[in-house]
Amino acid sequence: MRLRRSRGILAVAAAVALLAAACGGEEQPRQEGQDGDLSGGALRIQMESFVFECNFDPTCEFVSYALMMQTNSFLRPLMNYRHVADDPGLEILPDLAADMPEISEDGLTYTFTLKDGVMFGPPVNREITSQDVAYAFQRMASQQQGNPYTYYYEGVVEGFELQKSPAEDIEISGIETPDDKTISITLANAVPDILFRLAMPATAPIPQEVASCFPQSGEYGRFVISSGAYMFEGSEDLDISSCESMEPIAGYEPDRTLNLVRNPNYDPATDNPEMRSNNPDRFELSVNTNVDDIFNKIVAGEADSSPDDPPAKFLRQFADDRERLPINPVDVLWYIGMNLTQAPFDDIHVRKAVNLAIDKDGLLRAAGGSLVGGVATHILPPTMGGPEAEDYDPYATSGFAGDADLAKEEMAQSAYDTDGDGICDAPECSGILHISRNEAPWTEFNPIIEDNLEAIGIELETREIEGGVAYELVSTTSENVPIASHAGWGKDWPDASTFFEALFTSGAIQAGAGVNNNVGLVGITSEINEERELGIEGNLGDIPSVDVHIEECIAMELGQARIDCFNEVDRTLMEEVVPYVPYRWDLESHLISENIAKWEFDQNAGEMSFAHIAVAS
Amino acid sequence: MTQYIIRRLMWVVLVLLMITLIAYVIFFVMPPVDPARAFAGKRPTPELIETLRHQFGLDQPFYVQYGRFVQRLFLGDEYGWPGFGFSYATRSPVREELFQRAVITIQLGAGAAVVWLLVGIPIGIVSGIKRGTLVDRAAMGFALFGVSAPVFWLGLMFLFIFWQKLGIAAGTGYVALSENPVEWFGHMIMPWIVLALLFAAFYARMVRGSLIETMGQDYIRTARAKGLSERRVVVKHGLRASLTPIVTLFGIDFGTLLGGAIITETVFNMPGLGTYVVQSVFRGDLPATMGVVVLGALAVTVMSLVVDIVYAYLDPRVRYT
Repeated sequence: MRLRRSRGILAVAAAVALLAAACGGEEQPRQEGQDGDLSGGALRIQMESFVFECNFDPTCEFVSYALMMQTNSFLRPLMNYRHVADDPGLEILPDLAADMPEISEDGLTYTFTLKDGVMFGPPVNREITSQDVAYAFQRMASQQQGNPYTYYYEGVVEGFELQKSPAEDIEISGIETPDDKTISITLANAVPDILFRLAMPATAPIPQEVASCFPQSGEYGRFVISSGAYMFEGSEDLDISSCESMEPIAGYEPDRTLNLVRNPNYDPATDNPEMRSNNPDRFELSVNTNVDDIFNKIVAGEADSSPDDPPAKFLRQFADDRERLPINPVDVLWYIGMNLTQAPFDDIHVRKAVNLAIDKDGLLRAAGGSLVGGVATHILPPTMGGPEAEDYDPYATSGFAGDADLAKEEMAQSAYDTDGDGICDAPECSGILHISRNEAPWTEFNPIIEDNLEAIGIELETREIEGGVAYELVSTTSENVPIASHAGWGKDWPDASTFFEALFTSGAIQAGAGVNNNVGLVGITSEINEERELGIEGNLGDIPSVDVHIEECIAMELGQARIDCFNEVDRTLMEEVVPYVPYRWDLESHLISENIAKWEFDQNAGEMSFAHIAVAS
Repeated sequence: MTQYIIRRLMWVVLVLLMITLIAYVIFFVMPPVDPARAFAGKRPTPELIETLRHQFGLDQPFYVQYGRFVQRLFLGDEYGWPGFGFSYATRSPVREELFQRAVITIQLGAGAAVVWLLVGIPIGIVSGIKRGTLVDRAAMGFALFGVSAPVFWLGLMFLFIFWQKLGIAAGTGYVALSENPVEWFGHMIMPWIVLALLFAAFYARMVRGSLIETMGQDYIRTARAKGLSERRVVVKHGLRASLTPIVTLFGIDFGTLLGGAIITETVFNMPGLGTYVVQSVFRGDLPATMGVVVLGALAVTVMSLVVDIVYAYLDPRVRYT
């Protein structure tokens, strides 16, 4: 056992070393001798689809690539990040705010002073005021704007409530703008990670004279006025004399092209060069429906990069070339979720046995190997849990390959193993519905998972379905899905609360089709089931809860103590609750052209960094 | 004839209604996921889903939704006539996007049609006339290859050979004719050929078979007996009769293509109706999907009407009844 553990630790260390090596290679200035001037040129991005979910409208957009573009290049919220890799990329800094906020003695009121000289781009051409920031919050509070993360602010910012009124009619008592340069935000309760919430693009200033013409969700997307270093090409031609006169800005054609050019009103003196280098003159994004062709073009130098995953042949071709194929961890966990109310997973020994049985290395290889991820040994990804959590693996097996013998030892303690031989032999152990996706790599995962669990007597009936259908089905409490391997989860900002609050608190368990992210139903009780009309049919007795523990962590100030607290929650979940089999922490591989003079990765967004990338002019 | 066309146009409307109803039931009544859920983020609240359902019009009973769809289609909506509503994904009018993309698909389909007619018919004629010769065998070998080779494979091979390896083709993408005619042609030529190969091969086989059958008819023997030159017999008597089935086939094929050459557009990254419908289906963008279905159905039904009219013109035995 000790030997296995040691090997496990060595393997983790190797994986971490690989990650570190990958992280170390993300910035490669390959144009030395150019007097350090990397500005100019056009960055050409091709992607299979823009995948924007709300048409790039900052009030409701939530796709990570759009969030990266907006926070890197297009918008300036009060707070922001450096847009670089690793820990420096996770530090929160003032952006539109001149400095860090003044915090009242009770810790509830945050007062920001806006920088001078930050202007909206054409055709608005005026200085940004505190009312523009307040208006962004009003838009979020307007239900018809369809912001998907209002829960970050509801019950947090005093008086922030979703309302059916248009944004212009909404008043938020906790937001005051005593003058054009000052905005104070009063919280209902102390929320230590509030500054992260104020870095979301939906909080960036929005000019009411334009945006009020677009009261519905996503309508503003083709008319977004820049507050950052770049704007839609053709923004200056937008006629804002009336709502009727406005035609979509030419630089953004949904599902085809999105061109960003320099915003003439942007003053670099108002910005922090650590946050933005703003090297290319243009960003040219276009849709290419042929994924192979995208990467052929990158290899040929006709395109520079893509947010799409490179097909396997390109990964193989550039596997050892970190200059052309930089790799970064992206703080995304992939897991097998077990429903604590459904037999046989209502027995913790079964859940632990499943953790010991799963061949995580096999799943990783099926997904593409070490270029696409590292084996996950617990819930929090390494960049969030810190070095203290790196070696933690409560279900260590040799080479992460799973260990049927250890799993049987655990299973023997279960009530579902009636004769104690380590095999789940009760009737509940067969015909168990397992939801997965009908696309690679899940279709490759399923035989591995089925075989691994069959070795301990658990017979799965796998249903491979489309990803969206799988999410909706598993996230509907009344469907009572026992086990599912379709899902992953990524952070919203660099704090573990964005994992644990959404995934493991009883408050996150909601009725309705596809709205429950706590698929393990951690913390569920009969009362909650009845009150919220969840329709759960199963064993609701003695389901463990981590609500109090998570609340304690959330209330702690940012810093090591908070990280330690969440690491402790991670351990509790892994050892005393066991709703998941974590199997992969994602790595992001980007194939880039030789035209890229400087590569950078935005650790917060989990995407390439528009703020610092440079191309050969 | 006018009465005939009016009557057929009424049929077109009826067929369109039937198709839209079936498509509407498939896409709106039986979708595997709630489209509003797909656009509501990773932690959707019931309120947000409800808001989006309302904005998408999905909170109404099916018959109301369909009624509005038909109303918009025939009477127009706030974005113009005919009305196709707005896209869930882009929150923009579907109509504008459809028409822009239809232009590209028409260019692709029309160009390919010219190629396949110019290639397929002569090959079929030569093969039919030179039946059993080496020329015939070579032509039918080509036909077999064209029919058998999957379009996506052909497309990828063309790209690999002519763009990637030889560097003599323009690669994928689309450049508007008005922007740069030379680049437009450069980007269109490979898709035209790839798309046309399948049809050319099929048409060659059809023409050959039809011509062989026609050339065996009594009136052809009579024409020869009258002393007409073989060329005149073939062109004036043989071809006219043997090409009439091709007209029917062409009409349907061309109409179908106008609904979107999905594979060719995808492989060559052409922003036409084919790629639009693929993106729409994957994203649950139902109005966009319906828009393409309507345009596709319209193209096929209208082309059928055109074929019937032309057919009657070519074959005097057919009357407008």
